Amino acid sequence: MEYRLDRNVHSLLDPRTKLLLLFTSSVFVVGNAGERWMVVFYWILVYLPVLLLLVEKEWVTAAVAGAIYVGCYFAQRALQHDLTAVESALALLLYVITKILPTVILARYIVRTTKVSEFLTAMRRMHVTDKLTIPISVIFRFFPTVAEESRSINDAMRMRGIEMGAKKATEAVEYRLVPLIASCSIIGEELSAAAMTRGLDVGKKRSCIWNIRFGWFDRIIMALCAACFIWWGIGRFYV
Amino acid sequence: MESNRLNAKDLINVGIYTAICAVLCCAIAMTGVIPIMMVLLVVFVPILTGIPYMMFLTKVKKFGMILILNILMGLLMWVTGMSYYALIVGTIAGLLAELIFRAGKYNSKWHGIIAYAVSGLYCWANYFGIFFNADAYFSTRQNFGQEYIDAVTKMLPTWMCPVLFVVDLVCGIIGGWIGTKVLKKHFTKAGIA
Amino acid sequence: MISFENVSFQYTGEQECLKNINLTVNDGDVVLVCGPSGCGKSTLVRCVNGLIPHFYRGELTGTVTVNGTCVAQTTLRKISRHVGTVFQNPRSQFFNVDTTSELAFGCENFGLPPEEIEQRINSVVNRHEIGYLMDRSIFRLSGGEKQKIACASIAVEPVDVIILDEPSANLDYQGIRELQKMIAAWKEDHKTVLIAEHRIAYLFPYITRALLMKDGGIVREYSADEIRELSEEKLHSLGLRAEQAEDPSEIRIDTDMRRGNTDTLVLSNMKYSYRKEKPVFDIPRMEIPAGEIVGIVGANGAGKSTFLRCLCGMEKSCKATLKVGDELWNNKQRRRNLYLVMQDVNHQLFTDSVLEEVMISQENENREEALEILRSLDLEAYADKHPLALSGGQKQRVAVASAIASGRNVILFDEPTSGLDYSHMLQVSELLKKLRENGRTVILVTHDTELIKTACTYIIPFAGIKHGEKKEMII
Repeated sequence: MEYRLDRNVHSLLDPRTKLLLLFTSSVFVVGNAGERWMVVFYWILVYLPVLLLLVEKEWVTAAVAGAIYVGCYFAQRALQHDLTAVESALALLLYVITKILPTVILARYIVRTTKVSEFLTAMRRMHVTDKLTIPISVIFRFFPTVAEESRSINDAMRMRGIEMGAKKATEAVEYRLVPLIASCSIIGEELSAAAMTRGLDVGKKRSCIWNIRFGWFDRIIMALCAACFIWWGIGRFYV
Repeated sequence: MESNRLNAKDLINVGIYTAICAVLCCAIAMTGVIPIMMVLLVVFVPILTGIPYMMFLTKVKKFGMILILNILMGLLMWVTGMSYYALIVGTIAGLLAELIFRAGKYNSKWHGIIAYAVSGLYCWANYFGIFFNADAYFSTRQNFGQEYIDAVTKMLPTWMCPVLFVVDLVCGIIGGWIGTKVLKKHFTKAGIA
Repeated sequence: MISFENVSFQYTGEQECLKNINLTVNDGDVVLVCGPSGCGKSTLVRCVNGLIPHFYRGELTGTVTVNGTCVAQTTLRKISRHVGTVFQNPRSQFFNVDTTSELAFGCENFGLPPEEIEQRINSVVNRHEIGYLMDRSIFRLSGGEKQKIACASIAVEPVDVIILDEPSANLDYQGIRELQKMIAAWKEDHKTVLIAEHRIAYLFPYITRALLMKDGGIVREYSADEIRELSEEKLHSLGLRAEQAEDPSEIRIDTDMRRGNTDTLVLSNMKYSYRKEKPVFDIPRMEIPAGEIVGIVGANGAGKSTFLRCLCGMEKSCKATLKVGDELWNNKQRRRNLYLVMQDVNHQLFTDSVLEEVMISQENENREEALEILRSLDLEAYADKHPLALSGGQKQRVAVASAIASGRNVILFDEPTSGLDYSHMLQVSELLKKLRENGRTVILVTHDTELIKTACTYIIPFAGIKHGEKKEMII
């Protein structure tokens, strides 16, 4: 079976659209700008990431996220009387989930579906400097590495039986952080060497095999984001 | 050969240490659900991130790396629901820290510690919402429950703003100092810093 | 063409690492640079790909030129248009998260037109039949697959010099086969290939020359025929590995070494699947002879490392039990009684001195006893050193010392000799034997045939359970 590269393999949205959506989401969902005035847009922005997950065929994650939102919504309605301490802690937790989760899902969606090369090129077209985009792409590449490394370290601590033995909090922190930083530092050094022998440099023109262009969905999402800001502006300055 | 322009290696280092600091901050911030911890974040974040940060500073030999790390931390904070104050303050603080560390020729221990303390001010900036606009801040957080709000506002009257500023700086210095200790105890001794 | 003229190099703060190298490599040569670890072979190839002097700091004298360009006077980016490098560690050489972008990465950095990159990728992927690896996450590939992607991504670049820096260190028998094919293709395309290695037998069919290095200098040059003629003893005396590419599960081991006692550890109900997918392995019952050195062998990606993690009780979802004498150990008890020396030992060393490392493992801290353990493992001289400052083999011994200090009798090793040269491999082998002499059971996962031959007293072929069939593994 012959392999043929499909240069159009990418997600539904352009990287720039995704970032605009993230920006909008962090203003209106997490930042809660406009409050009651924006409530319709708020709910759209909360459920949109779930739709995006469905498009990516991540059925389970989408179902879980959807269930959590619905659950939180009803739980919050039930918790609108004077609260006891436990209830208020619970309400706070729910609050954090409903505020943060949509954006976290969106951010995760962006990281999962955006190729490093797509991201670098899209940012270049927006005239964002390499000095920001290269570190950002490394951060995304590195989160899974940090997670992998700390899992191994955690395993080693459990096996050596010193997770309990760390009577002093300082030791618990030291034992976790020192090997983590040491091994991330070594991996980082090797990663830099490898990337530089493959011609990665700052401020040089690079090409991109992935076709990046705005499609219909991009226009819809951008219109939605624009509508959010316009509606918010109306509420803020004219009403 | 030794140019002052940032190269790919420097930028990759910035990315790596931003990732480590961000993971740490995130782990610590999870504890902010308890009212007292919310206030104490300004203590724990600077103290703990000092360790990777001091390791980061050993890699910094050119202008711009500290600034970029701070901008990125600010961006991450903003996206994950703190406030855009972190980005603004973080950028200014990063620039100041950069100048301080440069004044120490990029290898002075105390310049490094103070640069760290200054650059960590984005942590303090996260409380601005409460100080400057407490009603609005909590009107969007009614779900916290009145008790939590009372607990937090009681701990955070407006005059606490400069106090937290000082606390953040002092903890930053402590964190930086601990960082240099760990650096010496482990990384320098192991020959990887 | 590559040429070295009176090249010496010294890493900042270390001893001189290359001493007065003079060398010319013609286009189309496939050159093996071999020698024991620390001989300077990696440093030599780093002078060609420009990491020296542009990445690693130090003092370089003399000139290295590649295709007429002086390496020191140009930039890494310009050199990288001529020279591509495959590194040793598959975990850290990828900048992208998906495999397809990784193949394109180098060409994109050079700004080649996308259509041309597309063609190059298609032809490389089809030539090497790696279509099944495309569009996958780097984090879900096995070590061998990662190395294949690393080679392929260099093959996509329009370079004419290819450097391989200990590429086989993390590869098993199958992985080496694949690597051989890659090198054969490069040779066919008349590329200049430079390989720094100490596992050398697998390269014999392809090389045109071999350079033997020692203490930073080239001590001898062999033709391809000459080096092939060298006996195993001769190779060993030069610090080189002599292992042939052979299937480890078919190795005959010396059964006279066995103790012949009948004690066994019985492992039951060993089953693991990754996130509800098909089981990685499903072993109803496995008997492991006590007090022996048992090698578990099988292809990369068969789940051997996961097997070890499950064996020492670190995977909650695995409900296996291990019967030792009259006791039946569950996960938690196995975590307390088995000790795994991980492949990346850095993850399991926590303190700031070797002595401290041993003492935190002791039930009651006892300095004298700790020193005694260190003495028995030739580590006493390093008692005050930082564990991370030691060499790979020494780190392993520190981990073993802490296992002994914690009084554990079953010690597991995950690939203890990956990337080690002959003398260091022998040290590991001696260590394993010493543990056995003291009555401990040693279980190791490895694909190192020489280690198996020198140390193991039993072999268990580990096939994984790819197709869902159940296997009784009893020896």
